[in-house]
Amino acid sequence: MEYSLQADHLTKRYNGQSPAVNDITLRVRPSEFLTLLGPSGGGKTTTLRLLAGFERPTSGRIQISNRIVADDSRFTPPEKRKVGMVFQDYALFPHVDVAGNVAFGLRGSRTENERRTKQLLSLVGLSQFASRMPHELSGGQQQRVALARALAPEPDILLLDEPFSNLDTGLRAQVRADVRTILLKTETTAVFVTHDQQEALSLSDEIAVIFDGKLVQVATPHAIYNRPANVQVAKFIGEANFLPAEAHGMTASSRLGEVKLFHPKSGQVQLMIRPEALAVGFDDQGSPALVRWREFYGHYQRLGLSLADGTELVARTSVDRYFQRGNEVRITLALPALAYDKVE
Amino acid sequence: MQLSGIIPPRFRSDRRQGRLPARWHVGNRQLLQAISLAVVACVMIPVAYLVIGAVGAGQDGVDYLLRTRTILIVSNSLALMLATTFLATLIAIPFAWLTGRCDLPARQVFLALGLAAMVIPSYLTAVTFSEAFGPKGLLQSLLEPLGVDRLPNIKGFVGATLTLTFVTFPYVVLPARAALLQADRALEEAGHSLGLNRWQVFRQITLPQLRPALSAGMLMTALYCLSDFGAVAVMRFNAFTRAIFIQTESFRMDKASVLGLVLIALTMLLLLLQSRLHSNGRHYRIGTGASRELQTVQLGRLKLPGVLFCAAVIFMGVAVPLLVLFKWLAGHMITSPIHVPLDTLAQNTVGVSAASALVVSAAALPLALLAARASSRFDRWLVKLAYAGNVLPGIVIALALVFFASQHMLSLYQTLPLLILGYAIRFLPYSIGATESALEQINPRFEESARSLGLTARESLLRITVPLARAGILAGLALVFLNVMKELPITLILRPIGFRTFATRIWSAYDEAFLSSIALPGLALILVSASVLFVILRQEKTAP
Amino acid sequence: MSATRITLFSLGVLLVALAGAPALADDEPVLTVYSGRNESLIGPILAQFSEDTGIAVEILYGGTSAVANQILTEGENSPADVFIAQDGGALGALAAADMLQALPEATLSRVLDAAFVSPAGLWVGLSGRARVLVYNPELLDEMGLELPGSILDLTADKWRGLVGWAPTNASFVANVTAMRVLLGDCDAEDWLAAMIANDAQAYPKNTPIVQAVINGEIPVGLVNHYYLYRFLAEDPEITATLHFFPGGDVGSLINIAGAAILQSSDRQDLALQLVDYLLSDSAQAYFAAKTYEYPLVTSVDPSVDLPALADIEAPEIDLSDLDDLQGTLEMIENSGALD
Repeated sequence: MEYSLQADHLTKRYNGQSPAVNDITLRVRPSEFLTLLGPSGGGKTTTLRLLAGFERPTSGRIQISNRIVADDSRFTPPEKRKVGMVFQDYALFPHVDVAGNVAFGLRGSRTENERRTKQLLSLVGLSQFASRMPHELSGGQQQRVALARALAPEPDILLLDEPFSNLDTGLRAQVRADVRTILLKTETTAVFVTHDQQEALSLSDEIAVIFDGKLVQVATPHAIYNRPANVQVAKFIGEANFLPAEAHGMTASSRLGEVKLFHPKSGQVQLMIRPEALAVGFDDQGSPALVRWREFYGHYQRLGLSLADGTELVARTSVDRYFQRGNEVRITLALPALAYDKVE
Repeated sequence: MQLSGIIPPRFRSDRRQGRLPARWHVGNRQLLQAISLAVVACVMIPVAYLVIGAVGAGQDGVDYLLRTRTILIVSNSLALMLATTFLATLIAIPFAWLTGRCDLPARQVFLALGLAAMVIPSYLTAVTFSEAFGPKGLLQSLLEPLGVDRLPNIKGFVGATLTLTFVTFPYVVLPARAALLQADRALEEAGHSLGLNRWQVFRQITLPQLRPALSAGMLMTALYCLSDFGAVAVMRFNAFTRAIFIQTESFRMDKASVLGLVLIALTMLLLLLQSRLHSNGRHYRIGTGASRELQTVQLGRLKLPGVLFCAAVIFMGVAVPLLVLFKWLAGHMITSPIHVPLDTLAQNTVGVSAASALVVSAAALPLALLAARASSRFDRWLVKLAYAGNVLPGIVIALALVFFASQHMLSLYQTLPLLILGYAIRFLPYSIGATESALEQINPRFEESARSLGLTARESLLRITVPLARAGILAGLALVFLNVMKELPITLILRPIGFRTFATRIWSAYDEAFLSSIALPGLALILVSASVLFVILRQEKTAP
Repeated sequence: MSATRITLFSLGVLLVALAGAPALADDEPVLTVYSGRNESLIGPILAQFSEDTGIAVEILYGGTSAVANQILTEGENSPADVFIAQDGGALGALAAADMLQALPEATLSRVLDAAFVSPAGLWVGLSGRARVLVYNPELLDEMGLELPGSILDLTADKWRGLVGWAPTNASFVANVTAMRVLLGDCDAEDWLAAMIANDAQAYPKNTPIVQAVINGEIPVGLVNHYYLYRFLAEDPEITATLHFFPGGDVGSLINIAGAAILQSSDRQDLALQLVDYLLSDSAQAYFAAKTYEYPLVTSVDPSVDLPALADIEAPEIDLSDLDDLQGTLEMIENSGALD
């Protein structure tokens, strides 16, 4: 299998401190969109900067399109890596106009550069803004110029560092969609850093979850959400209920009674149940519970439930059923639960 | 008007304390450090030679240091510093308040004229003050009808203090005014609503907010007093710099070195004290500019006294020197038989100032980059050492370099490069400071962007960083130019034989009492300085 | 502004700077003169020398004692070819340090009075100057003061705060050295201390003292005789007058301005040419006419109505004995006269 990007055992340690990036290994296939997801300060951006060449790895190897750009003896400076970068604050050169920014990385003849610049500007839908200065553009427009600038020299790989975090919530979804469209159209291989799990889940082909500089899990958004590698990941990606249980094979006994497990397990475990895996009803199937509160969102609703022994759970259900505070309900498990070793 | 560019940034109260943990790229950092190290090595020459000179003096040096006379010099300098700082602040606060916050007519004009005192070098002010207020000077001739025969001599402590007060008060006005304009209006309104009158509000609310700005300005003034040579020499006040000059002139290096080291120690003590004061938690954070218009204070019947006060300050700081110079220009006094064409002086002065400004700016860039971007302890030390010029008075640099060159570097002795080196060491901090604060404004991602778009580190420096920092670099350039032009002791001691500038010409004409010959170079120097200052202010105004 | 424009701007400034740097690439022989005499006194005649001979001269100006010290410090490395001093003592100090080249007989013999030539032929006097008390007769009258008979009388209480002096000036330093030689170190030190205690008014140089006397700021001042004549030339109405202390008083010391050639000079010929030029009739006439000093060559007469050199009741002293420059400088410094 040919990879666009291969990073092996990447480690970055700043003098004396514990490593900011600790033995991370990544593979990105051509045209794939990989997201580095994790809490702020967890080493995602450092990883990206290692890939870009802004930092030299303490150890490990980076290979971009079969070229080794960093290992123990070699280090290719950023300008030689054929890597495009979109920064969190876009970093558009304030003293250069939009066309100039886009053309900045082009090394061809003048006419060739102009043609490419036009092409890129029309791709991002900003043809009429070519001679504007960056500060005359809105945030979303600046974002697209930054994207065009990074794509113009046809990089082997595009790196995006929290590219949507500076945008208003309303604008963010639109820009996100635009970026996805453009990247799909240009068949660009991209690595994208975010701390926003929604963004990661909705955009990525694959997600690499990084905690404290360590790679915890690499998988598709679907797998990450439904089968998080540990409790920490489960908590970070989406909402989750946790219940102690005694596992025996493919089932476990818990406060919700006997539940099915996704993997065989035995002994004391921690069950992870996504709110939408809880089925809530008024029939006599399942464990009795009391509705403590309800949040209505239009296309779904969230329910706060408490079991007889006071255990609190959150459920997310469709809106075809009407619940209100004080209802006595029954809950069952619609999907098999994930069981994790109990960590004290 | 921001006006901040005139004050070396190290002394600005609004200076950002922390810095971005932006990391520097591997490749060009070592080069940067190497260049910076070389620059710092040059800066350290004076200190090294002072130590060598003082150690060479041995027991003699210690005896010299401990004589009552040396102790007298220390107390003289301290007294001058304290008195001047006190008086300059006393003048500056109302001046800044009246021209900044009150409904004074034509207050911008008053402000500009008051600040113009900065372009008049201390030795010119001193020379003209001794003419104007001497026993038989201008003031006496005005008082003659009243039966005043002669006035007391103003030479010595009184003359030096008077001169330096009117030379330095703008250094307090600038930060004080900036702080006054940024003061939080809501606080003052709260004061009024709590029943305080105008004066109480000023004293209890406005003034405390000014404290960091005032302390920065006062520090500038105090440092100026310790390092000034012109005023104390003309007023024949036995402060440090004059004593050092007398020893240096006679090439008595051991004694000069001992005095020089003590002066440096004193200056550093002052800086230390100030930073202590600030870290004591007494540092009030000034907001980032109130969005609402500050209320203009209605002076009412205090308007006339206000106008008179500002006019008097301007009269002393600017009008008296100019009037005396014009009087000399028109008068029939003996002129020097040596005719030096003004254009030769102008060419030399502007030439050496421009060359020094360029050298300094070039040397400052790597250090400013280190200061703005680097994070290692080594880098921070390099930058700290490069700021040594702030604690090295011109006379001390000059004495060390003349000693160094005459003993060990004869090929540099009495040459322009040595002179420029002297200026560079003295004024490097101005350029680093201005460039550093400009660089700090630049997003480090700009350079990374450029790198990822295929530019090498050097290319991105030249195409991105330098153009973006150009305002700061140019401000530093102008600041150095302005100060080199006025600098007296370094020029006097390090200049090549026969090399004359406005400053040396003024000095030698004064020295031989050819007062008429002071007029033309004096006025020319003021004119050129004022134009440069004007350009700096314009730059400040148009900067985003 | 683009990087190119910055570069262009910098280049422009650099060009201006280079234009302003004179004589950087000058290979012609240049004679370097260290002058302890004021530029206004010696500058014009040195310029005339360059014009007449085509030999370029670079001149460092400073106080005589300072320049002598500078040469002593520079030693073998001194760029100086010729040292011009306004005090025999400073020349004596360099002679004592064995730094001066002996002058040929032809040069030395231009000056007839042996008192104004180094006994070893190491320096030669160019012009003579007498120490005097310049006074303002009207102010003196007003104050009811009489002219003192000796420089030593100026320590009397009636002169408190009224005497101008220039304690760093080489001529004054030489006068104190003469006092040390004639009266002993103790008396000289006492006199300095008494003068300071009497609030003598310190000036940096002689000219401002004369100016102050003319202006009526002070009634009397210790100076060289010739400064007053420069003011008289501008304004004959000036009433200030010279007083020569009578009876061989140490206050009437006659000193010289003189020249010497450094041993370390590698332009001995040109240097000698300059010294000879300064002893020529025309140069001596210049000193007489323009600086109002006593020419030392007999063929030239003083230009103004001065008492003849021989008529001044000067103290008997060998100028070469005034060579303990450092000693006197330290005595003056320790006296507090510089504070």
